[in-house]
This record gives sequence, C-alpha cells and structure tokens, in this order.
Amino acid sequence: MSDQIHMLPKAYHEAVEHWQRHNFPEFPELSKRWQQYFPKDEEFCLCARIEQGMPGEIQVGDKKGQPKAAVPSELDKEAAEQLLMIVRAQASTEFGSIQQHHGTFERANDPHDQTWVLRVMAEELRHGYQMIHLLTSADWSSVTDTKPQDMVEEILSMQTGSHVLAAFNLEYDSFGDSIVFAAFIDRVGKYQLTMQKVNAYAPMAASMPPMLREEAFHLAAGVIPMRRWMEAAASDRNATMDVSTIQKMVAKWYGRGLEMFGDERGGQTNVKLGLKDMANRQAQDLYIEECTKMLDDLNIRFVRARLAHLSREQADSAYERVKAGDTVEAVSRDDLLRLPDRRFFRRRGEPAFQLVGFDGEEFTDVEAYIAHVLKHLPEAYRASIDVKHWIEMQRKVSSGELELKKAISSMPRLARSGGACPCSKSVRWVMDS
Amino acid sequence: MADVRIRPVNELDIEAICRIDERITGTYRPDMWEDRVVYFIRRDPDSSQVAEVDGKVVGFMLGEVRGGEFGMEEPTGWLEFFGVDPSARERGIGRGLTDALLAGFKRRGAHVARTMVRTQDADIARFVAAMGFTPAPVSALEKRLG
Repeated sequence: MSDQIHMLPKAYHEAVEHWQRHNFPEFPELSKRWQQYFPKDEEFCLCARIEQGMPGEIQVGDKKGQPKAAVPSELDKEAAEQLLMIVRAQASTEFGSIQQHHGTFERANDPHDQTWVLRVMAEELRHGYQMIHLLTSADWSSVTDTKPQDMVEEILSMQTGSHVLAAFNLEYDSFGDSIVFAAFIDRVGKYQLTMQKVNAYAPMAASMPPMLREEAFHLAAGVIPMRRWMEAAASDRNATMDVSTIQKMVAKWYGRGLEMFGDERGGQTNVKLGLKDMANRQAQDLYIEECTKMLDDLNIRFVRARLAHLSREQADSAYERVKAGDTVEAVSRDDLLRLPDRRFFRRRGEPAFQLVGFDGEEFTDVEAYIAHVLKHLPEAYRASIDVKHWIEMQRKVSSGELELKKAISSMPRLARSGGACPCSKSVRWVMDS
Repeated sequence: MADVRIRPVNELDIEAICRIDERITGTYRPDMWEDRVVYFIRRDPDSSQVAEVDGKVVGFMLGEVRGGEFGMEEPTGWLEFFGVDPSARERGIGRGLTDALLAGFKRRGAHVARTMVRTQDADIARFVAAMGFTPAPVSALEKRLG
C-alpha cells in the first residue's frame, strides 16, 4: 500500500498508551471483536500513516506553485504559527472525542453499533497519535518556545471541558449522542481534513488521506444506526428512539458543528497562507448542504416505513410533498427531522447570541427565546452546566450587560483538575526515559 | 447533455446504489448494499466511485486494493461491483467510473487490476473488455456442493 508507517519515539508512544489505559479502557475489547465484525479488514495499528506521492508544490494561496515546506522553519512565521494552532486543535479533538464516547460506551443497547463506535474511538486515537507525530517529528522552535514533550503533555492532559473546541467539551447524555456526534461532528472533521489535504506543510498534507479514509467509516457509523432508528420510529410506537428525541440531539450538536468551521467571516488567511483551500463560510455552506442531504436520506426511510403500503416511488414522492409543507396520510413536516436554522442557538461566529429561532424566526424577548431553545434541546442536556452557562451569557448579552466578544470567548467552568496523569505511579504522561 | 461528475463513494450514496441495482436486477436489496458499501467505505473509500448527473447518483463502481489472494502476493485492485442506471447509459459513465477506480488503485500502489465475469454475462464481458481488461493467466474453478 502507499501509506508509510511511522511509530512515535518510545516516550511518546508509551505516553499515548498510558493515556489510553486511563481514558479508553475499552480499547483491548476491539481486538476481541475484530474477527466477528470486521473479518476481512486489516487489523488496527496504533501508528502514524503518511500518504506517499502527494503534490510537492503549494496548491493554493500567495505561494501557489512554490515547493511545499518539509519542516516548519521553511514556512513563513505566520503560516507556521497558524499551522501549529491547527495541529494542536486537531489533536485535542481526536483525544477529546474518545473521552466523550467513553462516557456512554457501556450504556449502548446494540452490540453492533457499540463495536462500530469502538472502532471509531480506536481510529480517533490513531489520528491523535498522528498529530503528536507531526508535533514531535519536527523542530517547531521557530514559532514556539514550548518543548515537544510539553506540547504532548498539554494535549494528553485535556479533559472534557478543557478542549479547544466547544463540540468536544459537551458530555454525552446517552449512547445516542455517540451516533449523532459521528454523523454531525465527524462530518465537520471530514471537511477540515479535506481542506488540509492541500496544506503547504507537506507532512500535514500527507497525513490527511489516511485519516480521511478512516473518517469515511466514522460518518457511516453515525448515519447507518440513525437510518434504523428512523425506520423503527416509523413502524413501532414503542421504539426506544422516536423522531422527537433524535431531533433534539440534532439541535444539540448541529450548531456546535457549524461553529467548528470558525467565524463565518474568516478563514481567508489560511487560504492565503496555503494551509486550507476554503474559507470558513464556503466550507460551512457545503457542510449544511450535506447535512440536508443526510436528513433527506433519514426522512425518506421514515416515510417509506410509515407508508409501507406505497411503492418506493410513491413514498419518495410523498416525502417531497411533505417536505414542501403538505400533509400526506397524516405524515406532516413536524413528524420528520429538520435542520435548525444556521443561526439557531449559536454561541460563536457571525450569528453568536442573536435571538434567532429554530426556523429562522426572530425573537425580541430574551426569556421567550431561551424557552424556545430549551424546548428544542434534549432534557438531559438542558440540565447541564453548558446550557446553564449559555442562558446566563444570553441574558447578559441581550441586556447589554456583557460585551458580545466576552460572551463568545467565555466558557463554563467545566475544566476538571488536569495537567498530570491520574495514575499514582507517575505525575506526567510523558515519562523521562 | 448534463455534465457527469465522478466522485468517491460515501455513506449517503447507499440508497441511490440500491435503486440503480433494483432498476438493473429488479430486486431491492437495501441490507445487502448497506453491508457492501460500508465494507468498501471502511476498506478503500478513495477508490470506489459514484457518478452524478445534476446531483443525482446514476452509476457506481466499488472495488479495493488487496494482496495475497490465490498466491498472488502483489497489491491488486479488484473491481467487484458496478452498475449504471439504464436511463443514463451511453454517456461514457462506465468509462469515467473505471478510469477513476483504476486511478485510485494506482495511487494505492497496485500495478494490476482484476475482476471476474460470469460467462453468461455477455454485456458485462463486453464492457470490461472495452475498458482494457483481458483474460488473466488464472482459471476460475468451481465444484457443486450437492
């Protein structure tokens, strides 16, 4: 195959394995289940995979056509600084998502879905490993005083609540969040990795294709169970997941996914520097289009199962009518999944803290808006510190008591004590050899 | 004629692939295609392709690179499933899919692509021959199991 395999130096490899034992104790179960669920697939490898034969010239931006950088010092200072931020943020998301999945892993009611999520978690671990490889296999001293071992320490010390992006700081309420997260948040991951395939730093660009190949399965691990949920919801009045429950999980994650693209007005610098090939709004627009397509896929499953006496063509045509606002054989738009307005329940970016409702309606009364948002969120999530914090910020921004900029950068006090391995035998993740 | 767009397969293409297969074979097999498509997504999503016209998937070609089968150790691209909606044929869609699939195989280190065709599938045999496939120096053998 065309991937080149790299292992981290012993101290870092052991640090990742040590992290896995504390944060991902389910990992050994994967090899036990592999033959049953993935009999023809190559065994999982905790390693960095680097694609061979990638373009050697910068593909976008001011330096298009010039050779890509092989080491950070060959990049402009601004580009290297931006890139370092991107790599750290990417690493944070990989390890962060494992911590989130871990929270509800044992509560899965379907061994098949659980095993798929287990593989997703292992591949996220590999992606995190890959980002650590990027940080430790090159000299970043041109843009940071932080030593490689301290960068690794920082990444491995993060907990749910102290990660870089908001989507990775939300606890899962149930195993259902594992699935919806894979469908919505991993889809953002796919866009970010795709954009970085052109990266002007050659090792970063070459890291993307192997990660993207695995990300493609992560999306399937989200969408396929959701298809089954929708079919069951249509045909079984006692289905454990009904449309309203799924819809609320969509409302919980979709806005956070949109925010992972960064402020809608930004991203041009990364394009100019040759680090990505799309600005934030352009990528976000494509993401929304794809989420719309995903919901069509899920809704069609529901309509076909609910109107099982119709042919597939008739059911598909019924769905088109329902989508347009008609009620067909008692199925209406409200019975199906919908994407919230892109400005709904936003805390970052251009529409942050605007009073825009689920369907794009505008509110003038903040309390009415808070009630409206709460109505659309899962009950368990409503009880979280995250929602409580949002309500406080929303009230303060709406009354003019708090500057919008401060509200945007504000985080709930979620961060747990971190900074050291919880294992009594060590105080750091990276041990001196 | 609308432009044909060839792109790698993804999980949202499963239903369209089921429908193309249904139009060709007369059988709707959603579970089977879900299993198959996710298999190729796990194994080699870059190589497997779909063709779109006006945003609608009208063709697919699934395959992967693997090695070691039947004593043939070198990485080999295997073309396993394909179909073009009957209403979208004669537009070069099959050729476009094949070119993209074979390019994916090559990127992944394969120097040879292989497939198998049942002798009674004359149309398919003609298609793969037109795509440059020639008889391989291996024999397909079978034994009835009663």
